[in-house]
Amino acid sequence: MPIEMAIDLMRAAVRVMTPLLLAGAGEILVERCGILNLGLEGIMLLGAFSGFIVTYYTGSPWIGVLAAILVGMAANAIFGFMTVSLALDQVVTGLALTLMASGATFYLYRAIFGWYTSPVPPHVTTVIRETPIPLLSSIPVIGPVLFNQTAFTYAALLSIPLLYFVLARTRVGLEITASGEDPQVADYLGVDVVRLRYLTLLAEGALGGVAGALLSISQYNMFLDNMTAGRGFIVIAMIILGRWDPLKMTLGTLLFAFADSLQLRIQASGLLTLAWFPYQFALMLPYLLTLIALVIVGRGVKGPASLGKPYKRLR
Amino acid sequence: MGDSVDGGESLMALRLSRVLGSLIAIGLALLTASLFIGLAGANPVRAYYYMFVKGAFGNSVTAVETLVRATPILLVSLGLAVAFTARVWNIGAEGQLYMGGLVAAWVGLSLGGLPSSVGLTVMLLSSALAGAAWALIPAVLRAKYEINEIFTTVIMNYIALYLVSYFLTGPLRDPVSQFPESPTLPQSLWMPRLVQGVRLHLGILVAILVITPIVHFLREKTTFGFRLKLVGANPEAARYSGTDIGSIVVLSMLISGLLAGLAGGIEVSAIQHKMRMELSPGYGFTGIAVALLGNLNAVGVLLASIFMGAVINGSYTMHRMAHIPVGMAYLIQGLVIVFAVASEPISERIFRKEVVESAD
Repeated sequence: MPIEMAIDLMRAAVRVMTPLLLAGAGEILVERCGILNLGLEGIMLLGAFSGFIVTYYTGSPWIGVLAAILVGMAANAIFGFMTVSLALDQVVTGLALTLMASGATFYLYRAIFGWYTSPVPPHVTTVIRETPIPLLSSIPVIGPVLFNQTAFTYAALLSIPLLYFVLARTRVGLEITASGEDPQVADYLGVDVVRLRYLTLLAEGALGGVAGALLSISQYNMFLDNMTAGRGFIVIAMIILGRWDPLKMTLGTLLFAFADSLQLRIQASGLLTLAWFPYQFALMLPYLLTLIALVIVGRGVKGPASLGKPYKRLR
Repeated sequence: MGDSVDGGESLMALRLSRVLGSLIAIGLALLTASLFIGLAGANPVRAYYYMFVKGAFGNSVTAVETLVRATPILLVSLGLAVAFTARVWNIGAEGQLYMGGLVAAWVGLSLGGLPSSVGLTVMLLSSALAGAAWALIPAVLRAKYEINEIFTTVIMNYIALYLVSYFLTGPLRDPVSQFPESPTLPQSLWMPRLVQGVRLHLGILVAILVITPIVHFLREKTTFGFRLKLVGANPEAARYSGTDIGSIVVLSMLISGLLAGLAGGIEVSAIQHKMRMELSPGYGFTGIAVALLGNLNAVGVLLASIFMGAVINGSYTMHRMAHIPVGMAYLIQGLVIVFAVASEPISERIFRKEVVESAD
C-alpha cells in the first residue's frame, strides 16, 4: 500500500510539473537571449483562460490548446513590441502584462458566465487524457510515473534535453546565447538580435499558453481567478536557482511539483483531522519550500550578462 | 536636442510629458474598455456616465465612497512609489497589507480598556510595523544575498494569505461567526468618522493630508530621496558617490511595507471593524498600477489613486445600471498600466519635438 501511494505521488508530481517545465523551457529560451519576461505569469493565465473557454464551447481540448497557443503568442508579441521594438523596461512591462492578464480574465470570465451563485463553477468534461506508451508503461514504478501520462508530459520531458542540446550544440543556440551575453557583439557577427528575440518570445508565448491551458483543462477542469497562483514567477525563480540550465531548472520545478502534489494528498488523507495540522500549512508548503530553496541556493546568482537590458541598435 | 534648452525647462517638459503620458494611458484604456462594454451589449458612453458621474462622484455619499476606496490604494502606492524609485520591485504589498490587518485585529482584540486615542494609535502602529516586518525578509535577502525581491515578495504574498486564513479559522476566529473572520473590535477602536451618515473616516484625511505630503517631501526634498533616485537610475554612480545601496534597498522596502501594513490596519479599523479574508480586493496589486500611473510622484500617485478609487467604486453603479460585470474595474486597471508603460516613448516624442521647436 505505501508503495502504491508513493507511485501515485510521483505520478502526480510529474503531471503537476508538466506545465512548469513547458513554461520554464520557454522562459529559459528568452532569458538566454537577453529578455526577462515577468509577463510569463500573465501568459499562463491567459492560456488557462482561453484554453478553458474554447474547450468549454467547442468540446475539444485540442482546439482549446491551440487557442491558448495563439493567445500566448499574441500576448508575447505585445511584450516583444514594447520591450524589443520600443526598448521599454522589461521588468515594468512584464509586471504590467501580468496585471493586465489578471484583470482581463477576471472581467471576461464574469462577462461570459455571469455571476455564478451555483456552488459548482462551469467546468469542462472533455479533458486531455493519458496516452500510455505501449510496453514502457507496464514497467513497474517507472511505467506509471513516466509513461502513463498525457502527450504534453512526454513533450515537456523531451523538450528539456532538446533545449539543452539546442542551446549548447547548435548554431542558433549559440546565436541566442550570444544575444543574451552581448547583443552588440552578436550584431557585429551578423546575428539579427531583434528577430531572434521576437522568435524566442513567440516560442515562449506558445509554450506558456499551453502550460496555462494544462492547468485549466487537464488538471482542474475549470477556470479560477488567478489560478496560476504565482507559478509563472516560481518557474522564473527555478530558472535562477538552476543557473539558466534546463536540466537544473527541471530539478527545481520537480521540487515545487512534488510539494504541491504532496500537500494535496496531505489534505485528502485523514492526516489533518488526526494530528490537527492546519490545511493552510499544507497549502503553504510549495511556496515555503521555494522560498527556502531561494535562500539556500539562490544567493548572488548572476544571469546572462545582458539579461533585462534593452538593446538599441546603433545606426 | 537636450543641449538646446536649459535644464529647468527640459525638466519641466519631462514632467509634463509624464503627465501627458498618464492621461493618454487613461484615455486609451477607457477607449479599449469601451469595446468590451459594447461587446457586452451596453452603450459605453452611458456606462461611463454611470461609472464616473453617477457612481463615483454623483453626490457627497458616492464621492466619499470613492475616497474610501482610494485610501488603501493611496497608502500602498505611495510606499511602492518609494521602493520603485530605487528600482526595488516590491510585489508583496498585498501580503504586507494582510499581515498589517491581521496584527491590527490581534492587537486590537487584546487591548482592553485603553482610551480610544491610545488604543487606535497602538493598533495602527502595530499594523504598520507588521507590514514592515513582512517586507523586511525579502529586503534583507535582497540586500545581503542578492536574492531578487520580485520572487520572494510574490511567494510571501501566498504565505501571508494562508497564514491569515489559518488565524481566521483557528486562533483568531470569531467563535459565533460561521465565516472565517475575527471577532468584531470594540467600538473604541473603530476609526472615528468625521461626518454623520457617510464613511468619511479619519484615515482618509491622514492619508491625503499627512502621509502624502510626507512621502512627497521625503522623495523630492531630502538626501534620502535623492539617493533613492540615484540607486534607481544608476547604481554604479550611487556606489561611487558613497551611497550604501543595501541600506537604501532595505529602507525603501520597509517604507513600502510600513504603508501597506498601515493600509491593512486602517481597513480593519475604519471599514471592516474586524479581520476578514476579504479585507482587500487586490489593493496591493492595484497599488503597483497606481504607483506607475502616478509616475512614482506623490502628487501623481494621489491623483491616480483617486482615479482608481473612482473606477472601483463606480464599477458597482455601472454593474447595477448597465449590467457590466464589476470586474470591469480590474480590466481597466490592467489596460491602464499597460498603456501607461507603453505611452512613455509616445508622450516623450511629442514633448521633445515641442521643446526643440520652442527653443528654436
